[in-house]
Amino acid sequence: MKLRLNKTVAVVASSALLLLAVPAVGIASATNAAAAKPKPTYIIGYEGPLSGGNLQLGLNMVFSVELAINQANATGKLPFKLKLAKYDDQGDPTISPTQAQSAVANKKLIAIVGPAFSGATAAAEPYYSAANVATVSPSATRVTLATSNWKNFFRVVADDGVQGPADADYMVKTKSFKTIYDVNDGSAYGSGLSSAFATEATTDGATVTTATVPGTAQCSDGTASATQYTAAATQAVASKASAMFYGGYYCDLGLFLGALSSAGWTGTIMSGDGSDSSALITGTTPASAANGVLLSCACAVSTNKAFNKGFQNLANFSAVGATYAPEAYDATNTIIAAMKAVKKITRSAIVAELHKITYKGITKTIKFQADGNIAGSAIYVNQVKSGVVSQLGLE
Amino acid sequence: MGAFGHYLAAHLDTLKLEFWALFVGGVANGLLYGMIAVGYTLVYGVLRLINFAHSEIFMSGGFAGYFVMRYFVGAGAPPAGMSSVGLIILGVLVGGVVGAIVATILERVAYRPLRKRNAPKLAYLISAIGASYFLFNLAGKEFGHLAYATPQPYINHPVFHIFGAPVQMYFVIIFLVGLVMFTTLDRVISKTRLGRGIRAVAQDAETASLMGVNIDRTIAITFIVGGTLGGAAGFLFGLGYGVVYTMGFVPALKAFTAAVLGGIGNLRGAMIGGLILGIFESLSVVFVQAAYIDVVAFGILVTVLLVRPTGILGERLGRAA
Repeated sequence: MKLRLNKTVAVVASSALLLLAVPAVGIASATNAAAAKPKPTYIIGYEGPLSGGNLQLGLNMVFSVELAINQANATGKLPFKLKLAKYDDQGDPTISPTQAQSAVANKKLIAIVGPAFSGATAAAEPYYSAANVATVSPSATRVTLATSNWKNFFRVVADDGVQGPADADYMVKTKSFKTIYDVNDGSAYGSGLSSAFATEATTDGATVTTATVPGTAQCSDGTASATQYTAAATQAVASKASAMFYGGYYCDLGLFLGALSSAGWTGTIMSGDGSDSSALITGTTPASAANGVLLSCACAVSTNKAFNKGFQNLANFSAVGATYAPEAYDATNTIIAAMKAVKKITRSAIVAELHKITYKGITKTIKFQADGNIAGSAIYVNQVKSGVVSQLGLE
Repeated sequence: MGAFGHYLAAHLDTLKLEFWALFVGGVANGLLYGMIAVGYTLVYGVLRLINFAHSEIFMSGGFAGYFVMRYFVGAGAPPAGMSSVGLIILGVLVGGVVGAIVATILERVAYRPLRKRNAPKLAYLISAIGASYFLFNLAGKEFGHLAYATPQPYINHPVFHIFGAPVQMYFVIIFLVGLVMFTTLDRVISKTRLGRGIRAVAQDAETASLMGVNIDRTIAITFIVGGTLGGAAGFLFGLGYGVVYTMGFVPALKAFTAAVLGGIGNLRGAMIGGLILGIFESLSVVFVQAAYIDVVAFGILVTVLLVRPTGILGERLGRAA
């Protein structure tokens, strides 16, 4: 018994020695190369929901941030070492200020990926701004975030005001539709999107007829009855429009699509990110009525095989369908690129560099406008093909 | 001609163009409302209470039909010909039977114990609302909170045209099923011994029991009949609009409106009320946005009740329906 114990101790001790030896070798070679100066460590923070009801969205992003940092460290070419610090705000504006203060207090922290939610961003930004910490959000889309004079605020997604006009340009200029039936579901989101679409489409020279078909009770957001879609579809067909835009959510659009196919509608239908979900197809009767529907979103679906593979290995779930994962990856890599570009890494140097940088990411080329918004078109258009939502490309 | 005159003239032109297409859709919706309304009216007739859990009978019929269609049709191409007919009859039967079972359970669990204890009418109301919440939340828990499209057991194409308006297969199915159910039910209530029993209980439960009518049995059968139509309507509704755990709420509210419109407690009134409501709702989209359909629906109800407080045909299941 005693003997066995000694044996165990010996095994443990020798493996511990082995473990120590490996980094020792690493340090030794680095010392030779960089003349006895150890690499400094910098921290990139992530602020977003890492618990609570919006956990999944936060996981999509934080795994991407971690992946980008791991890959950058693994190249061995960085003159510094990167570490990730996670700040869980649950997407909640009442929690995010404390998380921001704790991030700012960490002297090694250089920049933040996030905050993820618009409300949380608005609440946290005064603290980041005062400390000159650059924040690059993968997902906060509220328009006013860019107009609040925060020099450190950046985002790699298009804001809420961009989608409707971009969709209109796509339908009228790219697809050449001249008569469009523009339906909204009466919600704040749906009617806002629809009216932005109508204004731009009219400017582009199309004839737009608008209609409100309220959301139904069976789709949780409204009070109307699904039976209304029979009459609404008849109206749409009678309008003789060649295309339709729907401002609303997938569940009601699914009901409407079924009625439209019954009523003999043959035109092209487009909707926004509220409908951009595979649940649109499961909720459409018959499912084939959803085929051909165009769906726009500020979010990209990753087609980058290397990223998808790395993400799957790290996160244990697929990057395809992980909303805002590719954006978080691009946001992190843009920060890392900025750190490589500056002479001396300081918080304010990174903010200044991000205002100048052009970085080719996996979703698009990242270049920021003066207000921190992404430059160029950043709305993607997807299409339902044989019962699957697939990405067509940037609008 | 004033602004209103112009408005009217322009919209009447549109109405002329779209009348038949909207009418056909309205009749289909109206028949669905009517089928659900029958459940409210029959129960009201015998128990003098509104079965607010009827929406969940409708919902369970919808889900039953959905599962049957998913099993037999699945993701494959929709069948045609006789197999379509067979599947639709099967769906109606399963929807109806499940609706009847849920209605029976409701009667046993939520109503009978109260009736045995002579509870006040308010207790029935709360019991019904509680049962309704329980059932749709149970469905949400068991079947998920997403909306599901029912696999189509037929190809939905125009079967024939009325004055240029296409009549889809889906509407034809509703017309046929609705017609068969209404005629059968009307016959049963007015001509058979069972129907006489139901009418007797509706007229005066105490006297009916003295005359040898088994009240418990009659009430149970009333729930079964209403549940069958409600469940079958759930299946038909699910065919067109898919199923989701909250699907019952609004159609049932509309059907309740239809029942009151036609005269609650009156069988034919429920059918007529349903049709009127469906048709007027559908035609109203010519004049107002779809967003105002409900305003029109309840506007009609209020107007009718102001003129005829007991509904179009009056409240009279007790007399020969």
